[in-house]
Amino acid sequence: MIPETTLPNTYLPARERSPEIDFRYSDNRLTMRGEAYPEDAASFFGPLLKEVAAHCAATQGQALTAEFQLIYFNTSSAKALMNLIQILEKAGLGGTQVHIRWLIQKDDDVMREFGEDFASELKHVQFQLLEL
Amino acid sequence: MLAFDHYRLKLDSTHKGLIFSFNGFISEGILFALGDALKKKMSADETNAVTIKRVFSVFVEQAQNIIRYSAETLAEKDLEINRISSGLITVGSDDGRFFVACGNVMRREDAKPLQARLEKIRDLDPAGIKAFYRERIMDTDEAGSKGASLGLIEIARRASEPIQFDFFDIDERTTFYCMKAFV
Repeated sequence: MIPETTLPNTYLPARERSPEIDFRYSDNRLTMRGEAYPEDAASFFGPLLKEVAAHCAATQGQALTAEFQLIYFNTSSAKALMNLIQILEKAGLGGTQVHIRWLIQKDDDVMREFGEDFASELKHVQFQLLEL
Repeated sequence: MLAFDHYRLKLDSTHKGLIFSFNGFISEGILFALGDALKKKMSADETNAVTIKRVFSVFVEQAQNIIRYSAETLAEKDLEINRISSGLITVGSDDGRFFVACGNVMRREDAKPLQARLEKIRDLDPAGIKAFYRERIMDTDEAGSKGASLGLIEIARRASEPIQFDFFDIDERTTFYCMKAFV
């Protein structure tokens, strides 16, 4: 029997300094959109990373799609994003079919390079870089 | 005289190509407001979107370094996000290139390790900067630095030439640190 996640979905609207978070655990679909330079990156991302890790542990072997459409993030947020990417990589290693979609604006070489950096850390996850 | 003195100050800023120059106590709220004005001004001048992003990124990292590391700082107990710290931050353009410069007072004992980090980053080529960024982002615990190394590397990564920095010793205990990055 495939265990199902018991986590409630998390939705946070985009704010001036933080991205929209649409983590639909019920659909195995995580979406993050916008800009990320919160005053306190650890307190913004910390709880989200815990949720995702718990979800991945409970749904091992299922499919999971994570979509990022980010415009800008500061270095504190970059650390948190790298942690999230590593949680997804670990899930992939554990048998979950993880699919990351990294969406960028055409010509945005800053976000393209970040996508390539993150992709280079991944061995057990399907990573797709898509131009909008 | 009042108007003349201030007009001279304004003219001086204009001649130096400044978009703005802030000197005083800076908070996360001021960082946001200045950054917002910066993006709007550059956008109104029809600056390329990726250039705006690079300048903005350098501005955010420099401003956060002032807030976190200036020796002239005030924080409510355990409320790091309410911290305000004194420093100087300037954004402008010179000969068609944008620059962001910052300065703040720091303890001389903290200046030595910072100078070593800055020298290391300044002397790396773009591939080396990228590799160093990767190394630091993977390091989950930068004890005591609140993430400053990564911020400095990000600044160098967005810059189009090696970063400039300098230290001026104020007295036996304090030094004035400043850095400038051309995007």
